[in-house]
Amino acid sequence: MKPVRRALAELQESVRIALGALTGNRLRSGLTTLGIVIGVTTVIAIVAIIQGLNRSFERQVQVLGTNTLYVDKWKYLNLEGDWWIYRNRQPIGVRELKAILRDSQVAVAAAPSVWIRARVDRLDKELTGVSVNGTSGDYLAANGGGVREGRFLVESDVDLARPAVVLGYDIADQLFPGQPAPAIVGQRVLVAGHPFSVVGLLERRGKFLGQSLDNLVLIPYTTFQRFFGARRSISIAVAAPPGRLGELEDELTSILRRVRRVPPGKPDDFTLNKQDQLLKVYRGLTTALYGVVLGVGLITLVVGGIGIMNIMMVSVHERTREIGVRRAIGARRSTILAQFLVESAVVAALGGAIGTALGLGVAQVIALASPLAAAVTWQAVALGLGFSAATGLIFGSWPAWQAANLDPVEALRYE
Amino acid sequence: MTPDGALLSLDGISRLYQVGSEVVRALDGVSFEVQRGEWLAVVGQSGSGKSTLMNIIGCLDTPSGGTYRVNGHDVRGMADDALADLRNREIGFVFQTFQLLPRSSALANVELPLVYRGLPRRERRLRAEAALRAVGLGDRMHHRPNELSGGQRQRVAIARALVGEPSLLLADEPTGNLDSATGEEIIRLFEELHSRGHTLLLVTHEPRLAARCPRAIRLMDGRIVADGPGREVAAFGTAPVVTA
Ligand SMILES: Nc1ncnc2c1ncn2[C@@H]1O[C@H](COP(=O)(O)OP(=O)(O)O)[C@@H](O)[C@H]1O
Ligand SMILES: [Mg+2]
Repeated sequence: MKPVRRALAELQESVRIALGALTGNRLRSGLTTLGIVIGVTTVIAIVAIIQGLNRSFERQVQVLGTNTLYVDKWKYLNLEGDWWIYRNRQPIGVRELKAILRDSQVAVAAAPSVWIRARVDRLDKELTGVSVNGTSGDYLAANGGGVREGRFLVESDVDLARPAVVLGYDIADQLFPGQPAPAIVGQRVLVAGHPFSVVGLLERRGKFLGQSLDNLVLIPYTTFQRFFGARRSISIAVAAPPGRLGELEDELTSILRRVRRVPPGKPDDFTLNKQDQLLKVYRGLTTALYGVVLGVGLITLVVGGIGIMNIMMVSVHERTREIGVRRAIGARRSTILAQFLVESAVVAALGGAIGTALGLGVAQVIALASPLAAAVTWQAVALGLGFSAATGLIFGSWPAWQAANLDPVEALRYE
Repeated sequence: MTPDGALLSLDGISRLYQVGSEVVRALDGVSFEVQRGEWLAVVGQSGSGKSTLMNIIGCLDTPSGGTYRVNGHDVRGMADDALADLRNREIGFVFQTFQLLPRSSALANVELPLVYRGLPRRERRLRAEAALRAVGLGDRMHHRPNELSGGQRQRVAIARALVGEPSLLLADEPTGNLDSATGEEIIRLFEELHSRGHTLLLVTHEPRLAARCPRAIRLMDGRIVADGPGREVAAFGTAPVVTA
């Protein structure tokens, strides 16, 4: 019991002394911790922004279903220099869609998607650059979302290539301002100059990677091909039952290789894109960014740490006689060591706390003034405090060691 | 422990310093004993080895040769931690320049030895208050050293030395930084402590102080040249003490 109590009492004494030394030399401690404050501020601000971006990215990526594969000619976010491989591929077309619909046992839905930007207008309202999307009745099952009024596209719309259109939330809002949803269904609009009749309205979906998902209209892909041509490559969203994505991937690969007549031993001439592919690329980017941040942070903390070491050397020097008195009164070497370590850790952690608060503040300001997001996480706070306290301990250890190993006689005679 | 033996026992103590190619014999074969309850002065001219002797008696330094026992413990070969604990339990130091911690109150200064002993906070507080009252500073406990006079500071230092109930109070020139009236007060305090049974060892270069101690030792060039009643030793080798 006694050693524990002694250790606790000494620790308490050390913290008291450390705080006393801090308030006794406010200007000096302020200047000393400036390096730490700046370093921690920078690191925390950037980490908060990265984490904010991560969160909004991950939330947005949910728009692409976790159980959905996207059959494409192109690979998502391909950062390698082999784009020409993809360009030379044959387009994905109705043949592939039909093969999947006919042969896949695993798929629960398969919806094509082919799009262009076009003008959509009605009476005096004209919207340009609207995403016109050719798809099928499986669209909602494969991509999520729902209809808030009227109906979605059905099989007969596709079979007969009807001029039927389902309006995204923003489009309905802008073409028919103030009109109640039931009144919009059945009205006529022009899509790229062709008359269409509105059969349904989509629920609001929000944004993905900064783009609105409600700024689109959906028409049957057969109608799309009639008006805009059939040579464009389509993307097919294929949904798997939960947990069977890998199985679906294998199945689709063999169906597609067969229908596209890929000889054995040759690589696939199509890509099965996935949500986690985006996440992976994105995470790769942020990991690199984290690396840079940690590098910068480490350098500034080393600079701050040298400041701490310097001031602790001065402190040991100034308090040589005090150390002698403490040793005479019964302090062990380890007691003196702990006292100075606690002091430098407290100084540094205080700087770290100020830096953490400043960094989070800076991140919030940046988030308000720019499209960037910021997130306050306990990890960031723990990182700031832990990092700075560790800096204090590491850089305080040499001065503390010197203090602990002073000869009491010499220390008492000092000056 | 040998409760009936001498409190301090020095036998052939020497302390050598290597200064360049020369060896300085700061202490050279010093032997004496101090019994419990004695009040002993160590006198001698500057450079005679008084501080060196005090450092060894206070277990801050270890002798180059000879045997030194405190309360029966042979300090030779003791580990640094054990020496620190021995100082904490057995020795109370009073320094010429008081050596109080400037940012701590009188009470916190006096509590410090008990912190290093691992006593619970309440007990530390009670004992420190009692020690401050015993030196007449019951009404100055929460003052900081810079709010106290020189005499009061030395009283705080004495309270700090006494609070752990050490076997020995070791004072190096305790009146050296005080005016004569205040110094007299401190000597009176020592007389009082002596009468209450404390063992005191007073290092001084002032024969007048040594003359008031029941026993004194005179050092010269690291050797004991006189050991006897304070009045006689104080006068040893000097002109007779002139008393007003
Ligand atoms: N650390 C040291 N290194 C070398 N010589 C020393 C040291 N400490 C003391 N001395 C020498 O030892 C002798 C005794 O010194 P000291 O004990 O301080 O005498 P006093 O306290 O009586 O004035 C002196 O000659 C002094 O120069
Ligand atoms: Mg001296």
